[in-house]
Formats: sequence, C-alpha cells, structure tokens
Amino acid sequence: MLWGLCAGSGKNPYQVVVDLGGPAYKCSCPSRKFPCKHALGLLLNWAHGTVPEESAPADFAAAWLADRRARAEKAEKSVVRTDPADSGSPAGSGPVAGQAAAARQARQRAEQRAERVANGLAELRSWLRDQVLVGLSAAAAGPGGRAASARGHADEIAARMIDAQAPGVAGVLRGLSEVPGSGEGWPGRLLGEYAQLQLLARAHQRLGDLPPELAATVRSRIGYPTSRADVLARPAVTDLWAVLGVRDLVDGNVPGRRIWLRGRDSGRWAMLLTFAAPGGGGRFGAAGGWQDPDTARLRPGTELRASLHYYPGQPALRAAAGERQAQPVRAQRPVPAGDADALLAGYATGLEQDPWLTVWPALLTGTPVPPGAGAPGVGAPRGGASGGGPQGNRWRLIDRAGAALPLADRESLWTLLAVSGGHPVTVAGEWHPDGLLPLTVWHGDRAVAL
Amino acid sequence: MTASSGDRSQPSGGAASASFDDLVTAATVGLSRKPFAVTELDGPAAAVAGALDTGDPATALLDAAALMTVARRAGFRPEPGIVGSPASPAEAAPELSPRAERSLRQLGGAQLAPGFAAGDKELLGDLLKAAGKAGYVASAPLLPDLLDAAVRTAALRPVVAAVLGVRGRWLAGHRADWQRVVDAGPASTVPTDDPEVWRTGSQAERQAYLAALRARDPNAGRELLAADWARLPADERAALLAALARDLSAGDEEFLDAVLDDRASGVRVIAQLLLTRLPRSRFTERATERATAVLRLERHGHRPSLAVTRPANPDAAAVRDGIDGRLPSPSIGLGAWLLTQLIAAVPMAAWTDLFGLSPGELVALAVEPRLDAARRLDVHAGWRLAAVRQGSAEWAQALLAAGDPDDGGGRPPAAWPDDQRLAAALPSAARAQRAAALLAGTKLTPGPAAANQAIAEVAGAAMPWPGGLADAVMTILGRAAPLAALPRLPRGLLDLAARGLPATGGRDYAAELTRLADAYPQNWTPLVRKTAETVLLRRAFLEEIR
Repeated sequence: MLWGLCAGSGKNPYQVVVDLGGPAYKCSCPSRKFPCKHALGLLLNWAHGTVPEESAPADFAAAWLADRRARAEKAEKSVVRTDPADSGSPAGSGPVAGQAAAARQARQRAEQRAERVANGLAELRSWLRDQVLVGLSAAAAGPGGRAASARGHADEIAARMIDAQAPGVAGVLRGLSEVPGSGEGWPGRLLGEYAQLQLLARAHQRLGDLPPELAATVRSRIGYPTSRADVLARPAVTDLWAVLGVRDLVDGNVPGRRIWLRGRDSGRWAMLLTFAAPGGGGRFGAAGGWQDPDTARLRPGTELRASLHYYPGQPALRAAAGERQAQPVRAQRPVPAGDADALLAGYATGLEQDPWLTVWPALLTGTPVPPGAGAPGVGAPRGGASGGGPQGNRWRLIDRAGAALPLADRESLWTLLAVSGGHPVTVAGEWHPDGLLPLTVWHGDRAVAL
Repeated sequence: MTASSGDRSQPSGGAASASFDDLVTAATVGLSRKPFAVTELDGPAAAVAGALDTGDPATALLDAAALMTVARRAGFRPEPGIVGSPASPAEAAPELSPRAERSLRQLGGAQLAPGFAAGDKELLGDLLKAAGKAGYVASAPLLPDLLDAAVRTAALRPVVAAVLGVRGRWLAGHRADWQRVVDAGPASTVPTDDPEVWRTGSQAERQAYLAALRARDPNAGRELLAADWARLPADERAALLAALARDLSAGDEEFLDAVLDDRASGVRVIAQLLLTRLPRSRFTERATERATAVLRLERHGHRPSLAVTRPANPDAAAVRDGIDGRLPSPSIGLGAWLLTQLIAAVPMAAWTDLFGLSPGELVALAVEPRLDAARRLDVHAGWRLAAVRQGSAEWAQALLAAGDPDDGGGRPPAAWPDDQRLAAALPSAARAQRAAALLAGTKLTPGPAAANQAIAEVAGAAMPWPGGLADAVMTILGRAAPLAALPRLPRGLLDLAARGLPATGGRDYAAELTRLADAYPQNWTPLVRKTAETVLLRRAFLEEIR
C-alpha cells in the first residue's frame, strides 16, 4: 500500500492512498476522475523508487484500509450459498450495466477473484498436506489432543477460504468438523473429503486447460457466483416437469429446499434450489419465507409446464425456472426408467463428468426391507427391529432384479415400509455415496412425501 | 505443526500396491511418523497410478485417495441375495381416503408436533372409533404416526388397534413397541381354535382364545385357566380371570372361591365381583348374612324404616371375602367404613328380594337412629359402591334422585362414589338427559363447585352428544356470548363442545357457533371459531367414511 500527502490549492494537503493489491485508490481531492492525478503521481513516484518503506501506515491510510476490508467481508457474507448437489450457484451479482467500462471492471474483478482463490487454494493444499503428515487423528484432535477440541478443527482454514472468496470450499470444510469421532470409519470418510478438496484445488490450478463444462463445474464447486440472469440467458428446456422429490436442507447456515423434477418428454432430470429469505425465520412450510416461494411450494405428485435453464457445468442438473405454469396440477405415478443397476451406472457416468458429485437423482421400483428382517425361513421378527444377523443393521431397497441398495437411515423409512407392505413400490429420492435417501413413495397414484 | 517437507526418506511400511484402507491407515497415523509412499493402487484406480506425483508422499497420498474415492463411488455395486420379509397379505377393508387422512391429521394436531399430539387424543379416538365402526382401516401412510401416537397414549391403543387392518398389523410386527398396540386390540386375526395359540400367543391372543373356548364350552375354558393358573403372572391372571365373566355359572364357583386366596388384591377383587354375580353362591350367602346382620327393615307403624347396627370387626372369613378393616382415609370412621363395605358386597337384587321394595323406595327410607344423619349416608354409600361396581342403572337412578350431598358429607372417594361416577352406570341416553336437565336448571354463573360438577357430568356423557344435551349446551353458550369474559361453566362447555356437538344431523352447530362469534366479537370468540372449525373437520371426516 502506498500513501502520501499532496499539496493542492486548498489549506490542507490531499491525502492519497493506493492499495496495490486491488488496485484501489482513495484521495481526499474533489476530482471525479478515478484514479485522480494525485494517485497517479504517487504511483509514478513509486515506480521510480522514490517512495520510502515505512513499518506502519499513516492513520488516514490505515483507517481506509480497515474500512475497505470490512466492506469486502460484508460483501463476502452476502455472497452465494452452495449446495452439495449444486453444479452452479445462486445468483450473486445484480444487473450489469452494458457499458464497456463496466465490463472491463467486471473482468478485472473476476481476475482479482481468481487470483485470490488461487492463493487461498494453495494454502488449502498446504494445510491438507499437513493433515496427512501429522496424522488425521492427531490433527483432528488439535494441539491439546483432547476430543473436545476436535470440533471445528477445520474452522480456521474454512474462515480463510471465505477470505479467499471460495465459499463452496469453506462450506465443505465447516461440514468436516463433525466427521472426527462420528462413528466407525471416520478417518476413511475424512480422508475421502480431504482428497476431494485436494482434487478441487488441483483442478483450479489448471482451470484454463479444462474443458469449459468441467471448468464451470470446478468454479461452481469452489463457489464462484453465477448470475441468475446469465443462467436464464442459456437455452431453455421446455417440458411438462413432474415434481418427484422435495428435500429440505437444514444443515447449512441458511435452510434450503431442493426440488427434483423430471421432464415427461425429455426424460431429463432437473433440480431447483431455493433458500429461506433473509429475515423470514427460515421456517419450513411457510411459503412466504422463501426467496422463490413458487419453487418452495412445489409438492411431489404434481407437474407443471415450465421452461428450465440449466446452469453451466456437466452433468446438467441444477436449473433455474424461466416461464412456468402458475398452478401445478396433479400428476400420475411416474414410471421409472431403470433399476438399481441403471441408477448406479447413471451416477458413475455423472462422476466421470463431475468427480465431486455426491447427490444423484433416483427413481426406481423396489421393496424396502428393514434391518434384520427376512432372514430366509423366518417371518417378521416379533422382538423388534434390532439389527444383527447376516443382513446387518441397515435398511435396504431391493429392486425387481434382486439388487439391494442401502437406504439412508431416517424415521420416515417406516412410512415407506407401511406404504410398501413388503411389495414393490415406486420410490424417488437421492443417491448418495453411502446409500439411497428416499424422498417420495407412491401409494397407488398418490405421492407420499417421506 | 508442519512436518519437515524435505522428508523424502524411503518408505519402510509402504505396500507395493495400496488399497484405500492402506491409505487411510497411513494418513491416520501420519506420514511424518510412519512414512508411506504410494506408487501403485488397487482396483480400477491402478491404471492411472502412474500420474501420481511421487516426489511428495503426502501429496501423492491425497491424490491417490481422491482417485480411489471416486473409483469406489463409481464402482459401488448393489448387494445380491438380500431377502425381504414376507409381504403383507391383501387388505379387504376400504382404506381411509386422503381427505379423511388430512382431516385426521389436522384434528390430531399434526401441524404442531410430528405425528399426533396427545392433547387431541379424545377427538382422534372418537374419529378412529367411527372409522372402525364403518369398516374402514387407516391408510398406509398414516399407520406409523397412528402407531406412534398409540405407543405414547395408552388410551388410544384399542381404537388404533381396531383400524390397523391387515397392513397395520403386518407393519406393527416389525417393532416391539408397535406390537404392543396390536396386542391391546381385538385379536381378530388369530385363530381362536388352535391350542398352540394358548401355549405361545401374546396375552391378547390368549385372552381371545380363552374367550372363544369359554363360548364353546364354559367348563373347558375354566379348567384350562385353572390348569395354568399357578404359573401365570398377576396381570395375566387378572386379565384372563375377567374372561370368565361371559357365561358365568355355578360351575365356576369353586374355582372363583379358591381365587379369593390369591396373592394379588387386583385378582381377588375380580373374583369377588364375579362371585357377587352368582346369586346362590356361598360367597353371596356369606355376604348377605353379614349385611343383613347390620341392616334390617323395620316395619313398626305404617312407615317402614331401616335400622343399622354397628358392625363388629371383620373376622378372618370376612377379610377373605374382601372386607377391609383398614381405613382408606382418616376422614371416615371404622364403623361407617365397615358398614359401607358389608352393604356393597351384596348383589343389589338381594335387597329388593329381601325387603320387597323397589330401589327407589329403599333409597327413600329413613334410617334409624334418625338423629344420626350419617347412618343414612353409610347405607347409601354401600349402595352407591355396589351400584358402581355391579353397574346397576336402576339403583344409580334411584340413588342420584335421593338428594345426598355429592361428597357424602366429606367421605373419601373410595367410600363414596360421587354423582358423576354413579351417573356412569346410567344408560347413555339417561346420562345425557340428566346432564341436559342439570344445565337447564343452572345459572350462567353457579358456584365453582356446582359449575365443575355440571361440566364433569356433561364431560361424562357419551360424545357426540344427543340433540337434547347439545341444544342445552348451545343455549348456555348463546346466553354467555354477549359477556366480555367467559364464566367458568360456559368456558368448560366450550372446551367440550368441539368434541361433543354433533357434526352431522339436522342442526348445524358449526354454523351457529360462527354466527355467535360474528355477532359478539369478544376476546374469547377465537375459541368459538376454533370449535366451529373442529366441528367442520369432524364433519368432513365423517362424510368420507359414510
């Protein structure tokens, strides 16, 4: 940072500050040119090497810098939230003025951001290396080695990623605080997450060399903002979209809702995402409390004609709704396109395009099996659903071919079992690396949210 | 905490071809403690292991873990050979419609709490009972919430059990807590002619089996119970003994008399009650003998009266027959307590037979010594207890008409069933009629005790109320509507009205309540509107199960 005083026509000299990192300029002169001649003069002096080094900035320079940082942080906080399933981010920036100057400024900002992210991710890689060198258990336990401090072992680096304008990475890191001590096999889960971050940091290093779609995916995972206007400018897919599943996201800072749609004619999946409106209290069920109430109130078992615009990145899942029918109507029971093998094959294909993919839409026909149930020759157990036995303590969904997928444990699986009655049912949900999360089951033609 | 980055020492523990677990182990311990170099990888990631940067083991490990994580995710295979439990048999009964299910959830307070709030259990119970009577079973998506509600609230278990249907019973079989709900209901699915059920069934199934056997062959039923008696726990002895109430005959006397020596008082009381129903049993003879020794009909002059003698302390035989020498509360004397019990132990019919008077005439009799008013209450207390235990409507009607103080002059509830308990022995129409008459004769603001009694009597009437009682309640509410603050009586009635006012039928109570709320906006009118809404929701539900 440079600062100086410049004698002008007035009584007091002008106070000039230049932040070389920005670059950004501040001068107490009334000039509307930017940077003003005083700042340019200071830069010229600096270029000639005539500006001496000082250990501490002058008061006016320090005050401006602090103010600037505060504003930058505030702006950072208002930025975009990401979702694990998200291959694109919610709109951040407002409408952009069409002038060339504004475009240049935008490009400059983007370059600055890329640089900041690159620096941050370099730090992240060094931090990840440290974790592996010191050992996951020691690093997670913290310097004191006590389990209590294991909470939030990644919070510091997460905060650093916010500074580095990589909120997507920060979100992943914050989620890791819960992993140490989270039950058997946590080091494996933690290493998996670290490795995925390492992969993301590496991908960002080569961002320019990546195919555009993959680069878009990397950017969205890191948390570069995507403006809604840009998304809506992309080609539309118009179809009769059936709402197959609704998932409330409660883990993040702000409650969100994910809506899974499937197009009747295109057969394509799409995911709409909306977040609780600021100040709305984030209560689920209150449609008024959402940034996009029309999306938040979509219910499984309905369908609507709409033009969806996919976010950049592959596989294309996240979409923004353009034109849409105001009132969704009742839909028939959807017909699954494939079985468990097809679901897993689809996810594997998705992983080829996006190795960070952890949420994949699922629609299949299967029979839920509670833990410990149905060992051959044994009826429904009378002693309760205690686990054990050769079939372990997990819920499963068995498709018509006899392939069993593990189900993510949640209370509503009992509703799934009640609706199924031990017979095959149509289930929509999300495939996660560790199992299927059922969101909707069809009871005849009626969709029952789980 | 950074380990020396120049650590390039050759691996000592590094496997030639690493699995993901190897990587996890190495990372958990820490490469600075135990070096580990990844050069080759197991599985699908092996092909790209050459791309790893082997110059830095930590980076190589992270890169390798990334490769393998993605490879593992992409390579996930479903498990073969998992067998499901046997599927639920087909359901023949119709299922509650989605609209009925929605009304039920709204009434059950699903918006406030997951599943059903226990506070609305009576309303929920009414509607489920109606659904069960109409032959409906709960819709499948409703079953887990219903079962959970029944687990939380024991009072709901029988009504929930009755609408579970084939699917619900199948589902409940998967969880021990839900199975207990099934056990609380009619065991209609269990074959009641298979002796195996008696040997291995649940308590409810055994009860059903015994009842069925008893209906076919009363003696065989009793003998089956007697044969198993010694090894049954007390609660099961009590439950199964109650099954003998059906087709009770002199043949059961010997067994029941032996049960008077049972260890559990709850079991003894059931045996005493059953024996009381055998008019010529030795138990009844003993009880009548003891009672007539202390209560006589005097026919001096033209007006008969009753005379009491102070009872002696009970002997061993009397104690065996259930006469308790211990006081239930210090607020009653031993003489009064013994007199009450001795009279209560006699079958009510014995009094009319012995004295040749109707219950109404007997209750109206003066009791000697007349100066001691408490003696009359002692006698009435015995009859009240007997009427409640033996369920005699005629006696209850007579005793309620006697005009005794509702608390029996400060007697404990064990020795003086109040009017409300007595009214429970009335047929439901008579009970509602009594409550309606009580309301018709009351002020809008009676004393707290009178208000509470009236509310309790109305609460005790079967719901939904018959027209007369519903109209009486509406009259009180209409009179209270102009008031700024709701007095105790109409307030209590309003709380009951959501459940009690008929939802269907000639008079539209919901509309009348809404008109009241519109005409007199007071602080408390939201309660009136809520009541009207509840009546409408009940109507919506009932229309669905017609």
